[in-house]
Amino acid sequence: MSSNGDAVFSCHGLRVFVGDKEIVKGVDLEVRAGEKHALMGPNGSGKSTLASALMGHPGYRVEGEILLGGERVDHLPPHERARRGMFLGFQYPVAVPGVSVANFLRAAVSARRGADVPVREFRQQMQAAFAELQVPKDFVSRYLNDGFSGGEKKRLEILQMLMLTPVFALLDETDSGLDIDALKVVAEGVNKAAGPATGVLMVTHYQRILNYMKPDRVHVFMDGRIVRAGGPELAHELEARGYDWIAREVGLEPAAAAAEGSRS
Amino acid sequence: MADAAHRDIPAGRRPALTGDDLAALAGLTGESPALSVRRRAAADRYAAVADPDRVTHLWRFTDPAHLLPEAVQPPPSGAAHAAPHTLGAAARVLMVAGLRPLVATDLKALAAGLVVKPLAEAEEELAALCDRQRAAGAEDGDEEGLFQALNGAAWNTGLYVGVPPGTVLAEPVHVLIDATGGPTLPRLVVDLGEGAQAVVVEEHNGGDAGSRVVAASELHAAAGARLRHVLVQTWGEGVCGHLTARARAGRDADVLTVFASFGGERSKVELATDLAGEGARSEMIGVVMGSGRQRFDHHTRHRHLAGRTWSNIDFKAVADGSARSSYTGLIRIEQDARGSEAFQENRNLLLSDGSRADSIPELEILNQDVGCSHGATVSPVDPAQVFYLQSRGLDPDEALRLIVRGFLEKTLGRLPEDLRERLETLVGTRLAALQGRSS
Repeated sequence: MSSNGDAVFSCHGLRVFVGDKEIVKGVDLEVRAGEKHALMGPNGSGKSTLASALMGHPGYRVEGEILLGGERVDHLPPHERARRGMFLGFQYPVAVPGVSVANFLRAAVSARRGADVPVREFRQQMQAAFAELQVPKDFVSRYLNDGFSGGEKKRLEILQMLMLTPVFALLDETDSGLDIDALKVVAEGVNKAAGPATGVLMVTHYQRILNYMKPDRVHVFMDGRIVRAGGPELAHELEARGYDWIAREVGLEPAAAAAEGSRS
Repeated sequence: MADAAHRDIPAGRRPALTGDDLAALAGLTGESPALSVRRRAAADRYAAVADPDRVTHLWRFTDPAHLLPEAVQPPPSGAAHAAPHTLGAAARVLMVAGLRPLVATDLKALAAGLVVKPLAEAEEELAALCDRQRAAGAEDGDEEGLFQALNGAAWNTGLYVGVPPGTVLAEPVHVLIDATGGPTLPRLVVDLGEGAQAVVVEEHNGGDAGSRVVAASELHAAAGARLRHVLVQTWGEGVCGHLTARARAGRDADVLTVFASFGGERSKVELATDLAGEGARSEMIGVVMGSGRQRFDHHTRHRHLAGRTWSNIDFKAVADGSARSSYTGLIRIEQDARGSEAFQENRNLLLSDGSRADSIPELEILNQDVGCSHGATVSPVDPAQVFYLQSRGLDPDEALRLIVRGFLEKTLGRLPEDLRERLETLVGTRLAALQGRSS
């Protein structure tokens, strides 16, 4: 894929370290507006580290370039990346007790816009998003992710993604631990988000969600690298044959492909 | 710095209290002879009382010498004070050391029987209160310490608030105590008759680095009365002081003490409610926010003296910079208090590496037929929360403000709407000052 100027996201030679340990060992990726990409890999391959590092998690040292809408953002703190349109859907959304979903969303939407959203306009926007994702109304007054079920948390992540109108949405295993109905909600959200101004990268372990979100591109991630890339057919092949055959083909021991073992 | 070590108050550090001083204070307040008798009795106790024992929990975290005024006489005050208005209040009072309290009472509240007057002129009311207390079997001079005795002997501005039996005040009595202008020793007596209901806001503000305050409030809620006492401290920078509030709840009385400490440099607050009558209830809800080099020391005490009594404490402290909040809390359940329940929770949130919090809950239970629980936590801000909020576009300051608001939310949420709004405004002011964190 050659860059023709509408890449919403790219990274080049990206390496991520935790202390001295290299977890992500040189990744090049490009996502264009309207595209849906899937990054698939076994547990422990470094997928989540990659996602957090792209968002600017302070626990990592990062080398290489990260571009959002053509601008370097790798030197920026997470909130600046978010304000420029990067969104990370968390694998484990964090509870913030005492902060209502409504107050949180208003702060987030205001931050993304760079100006306070008028209360009435915000309420309308929020109600529309709630209706669209079939999120119960009482969510607004509940405390952020506090006591939420896994499915509820993921639904709220998708709702945030739609309200924050990202340029590039990065979803870290947003599909894990969901029943089929919640999975469809997530996939529909992704399909809705990917549009003329937005590209999506779904980081996942399972092929299941890809049946509903139909990615344009699939990347196989092992041992800190993208070892293979292809169209949607690659996901089906992974489902049928597992990851080990690719590991062997690229000269990795299956165990090395998932160095830390299963985490889910 | 031997902050937790035993140390006597240095010789000469306790303010002297001569016969001339007492006479001058009596002249200043214009008190009646009977009140001067009380003042002299307190002066005798002041002379006899030992220095605070720094080995006990009560004084473990604060050196009393920091809180004592150098002298007891306020300097002559030339400042003119505007008379308060009664908008939105049953009464408004301005208290300044050495001046007769400025009182404005709403006409409707006045007609309903509300009495708000200088303590110096409340001889009859105090005598009647004393008689009622004696009839109810309340002991006098309960566990008076140095600061309570000092206030009793050297108070230089005093107020009596009386609400007759059955009277329900729709609006609060608002008492503003200004620490500006020299040692401020305010004394407040609140007297709710049977079935009476009132909100009394005691707000301490003003003052600067030279200001010292030693305040004492005595609150009585007779049978079935409902008292809400709000103790707010928003002193100016550098003020040091000691605040005492002691309440007594009669049969089926309901006392709510809200305390909020934000200002000053060093402050110690002692809150004690005796659940004296069967079925009495008391709740204490507190919020402290400190920064810079501020030191806060709060002590609460619930004494369950009668059966089926209920108490709860919910106290949250937030410390930034190199601020420190210390809390000691005692729940004592006497032998006669069967069927009582007592709860206590203290949570502390540290926003910086240099901030600190201590929490020491204590239970003394002499009757086993009771329910009790207490919990204390001291924790830093969770970096995962900050990252999550940052990933949604909030800068680290905004993220922290939201987390702190969330931390206080459940506690403030227990307050009646009007009090809650007022405290949220104060919290908001403090939060706005939280700034300059790097990402």
